[in-house]
Amino acid sequence: MKKGTAETMTGTASRRSVLKGMGGLGLGIAAASSGFLAWRRSASAAESLNYMCWEGYNAPSILDPFQKNNDVSIAIDLITDSAGGFAKLAAGASRDFDLVSSDSPWIQRMGPAGFCRFIDDKDFAAQYEDFYPQFRAPFVPLQFEGKATGLPTRWGWVGPTVNTKFDKLETWSSYAPVFDPAYRDKICLLDWGDWPIMPLALYAGVNPYEELDQAALDEVRKVLRAAFKNTRAIVADLAVAQKGLLDGSFRALIGGGTYCTSSLRIKGHDYIQSIVPEPKDGLKQGIIWMEATGLIDNGKNTQVAADFLKYIVSPDVAKQLAITDATCNLVPNSKAEALFSEEEKKALQMDYMWTAWDNSQFHTVAPNIDDMLAIWQEELAAR
Amino acid sequence: MKIEVKSWKDPVLLAAVAPLAVVMIAFFLVPLVMTAVLTFQTTQYYRLAWSWDLKIWTEVFSKPHYWTIMLRTVVMALVCVAICIAIAFPAAYALATRLKTFKTQIQILIIFAFLTDAVLKTFGWILILDKNGVANWLLMHVGFPPDALNLLFTPAGTMIGMVYNLVAYPMFTIYLSLVRIDRDLVLAAYDAGASRLRTFFEVTLPLSRPGLYSGAVLVFVLSLGAFLEPKVLGGGTAPLASELIRQSFETRVNWPLGAALTMVLIVTGALMLGLSSAFALRRRSAPGRPA
Repeated sequence: MKKGTAETMTGTASRRSVLKGMGGLGLGIAAASSGFLAWRRSASAAESLNYMCWEGYNAPSILDPFQKNNDVSIAIDLITDSAGGFAKLAAGASRDFDLVSSDSPWIQRMGPAGFCRFIDDKDFAAQYEDFYPQFRAPFVPLQFEGKATGLPTRWGWVGPTVNTKFDKLETWSSYAPVFDPAYRDKICLLDWGDWPIMPLALYAGVNPYEELDQAALDEVRKVLRAAFKNTRAIVADLAVAQKGLLDGSFRALIGGGTYCTSSLRIKGHDYIQSIVPEPKDGLKQGIIWMEATGLIDNGKNTQVAADFLKYIVSPDVAKQLAITDATCNLVPNSKAEALFSEEEKKALQMDYMWTAWDNSQFHTVAPNIDDMLAIWQEELAAR
Repeated sequence: MKIEVKSWKDPVLLAAVAPLAVVMIAFFLVPLVMTAVLTFQTTQYYRLAWSWDLKIWTEVFSKPHYWTIMLRTVVMALVCVAICIAIAFPAAYALATRLKTFKTQIQILIIFAFLTDAVLKTFGWILILDKNGVANWLLMHVGFPPDALNLLFTPAGTMIGMVYNLVAYPMFTIYLSLVRIDRDLVLAAYDAGASRLRTFFEVTLPLSRPGLYSGAVLVFVLSLGAFLEPKVLGGGTAPLASELIRQSFETRVNWPLGAALTMVLIVTGALMLGLSSAFALRRRSAPGRPA
């Protein structure tokens, strides 16, 4: 009996293992086949593009149609830090890449860095025509010595991000609560390079986008020191910042703006808002941030790269780029506006966008950015 | 036992050490030299400029905040070592001597926790330490006021994360030392009339020293490079050396500065290890102690 059971069990186990083995083999073959097919498609594509970009630009729904229609394979290098991406290109990777989508100051910096494939605005006249007037050629923030370094692709504004369940929006018509003892341990600064520094400098009466003298840098130091006193956390992770904002442990996020907001709003948290404070002593307190896509002078300078640039700013693609899983952002293409649903428009705070624009500085290359980042490090160490 | 002394010119010996030597030179020494060389360069418009000077080192030695962060890092690493050893030793001792029935299961659980991704574990602690998290919820249900525990985004939060992620290292090294102790030595101490406590301090503890030291060294070295915990659980308000280095490389795109700070951290760590080794050797060779 025992023996028989053992034999039966052995038989069962054997069948099971054979079936499992077949299943595993099947999965393996499927995976290998899909990998092989992808490799074959890549290998058989007439051309290839190397594309460095932020999340969202790499969505298959964006890349696949272009790859199919243009017989091109696109290799993606995702960046999580604009400065880091630029440093990589500057260190020599510019020879390997065709395009880059990053924060606009870093696209503009490609001009003086010597690896920008400048674009002729005339070749992109049709694309500019689709843009809101504010983004049309000649678009100064992306120009270097009168030549365009890229095209704008996504934008938004930086101001206090507030949960209106806990705070009235009027409270945040200035950055004053950041320094109010009542908000001690309730402020979250976004650890995104210079993003949190700029609004605080503006509150101190310093325009960080101009050349700064020592007195102005001292003001920046003072305002950062004061802000750190009330700061509960300096967070780089968007999800952590958003969670704190939703549960009220952070009363405001500083330095993130709409980049932190829209994805929450589209999920129904429409009580989360990013606003732009009122001008203070004639100085606009908001900041317009923008992502742009530029071509890289890698020696090959293919036509397909220029075609992709036209494609990425087209209305349909712009709409997809605006609404991604991780973040939702505005796009400069005015024709894309018609493609948004009412919910999406509300999530993107489109009714407020030109108010924000009018009360904001444009986030460009700040001449003293390294001084300000050094001050940030010093004050954080001394905290 | 006769120990055969071999010459470094012996081709067999050279052939035996060559692969390791090549790996160490290629993946440790060369990058280290490159990092050191990088510190004497400058950055111009986010590009490396090959101009040999001491500008970066002047900055490193003239700005006290770099040293504040380095000191904070060393202190945090030492505290982490102390807490890890304090937790790991009793756990390893229990595993080696008392929990023999469930030894394998417990080892598997520890290995499972050890091998789980540190990012996952660290972010998981947010759910526990958060003001609205599990810890506060439990405390509230046993009568504490809401928000009784405020550890998230504090240095204590950083320490909890560091200890949790690193405690398995000394646990295993100490355990391996403990299981190798000859049981007859312990029994001999009992036979000689030593109490349990005295046997522990005179026999078990000295013989487990290799595991203690190696565990402490592992925790110390890994703590010096702690990056995730201060950022995620510490809230970034008290950065440690690795965050400083990241900021220099990434945010400021100042590679020579990042390289110089890396060298400072490596040298600081090596000095600390050298000092502790010297201290340990002195203790071992002290009169009245077994060599």
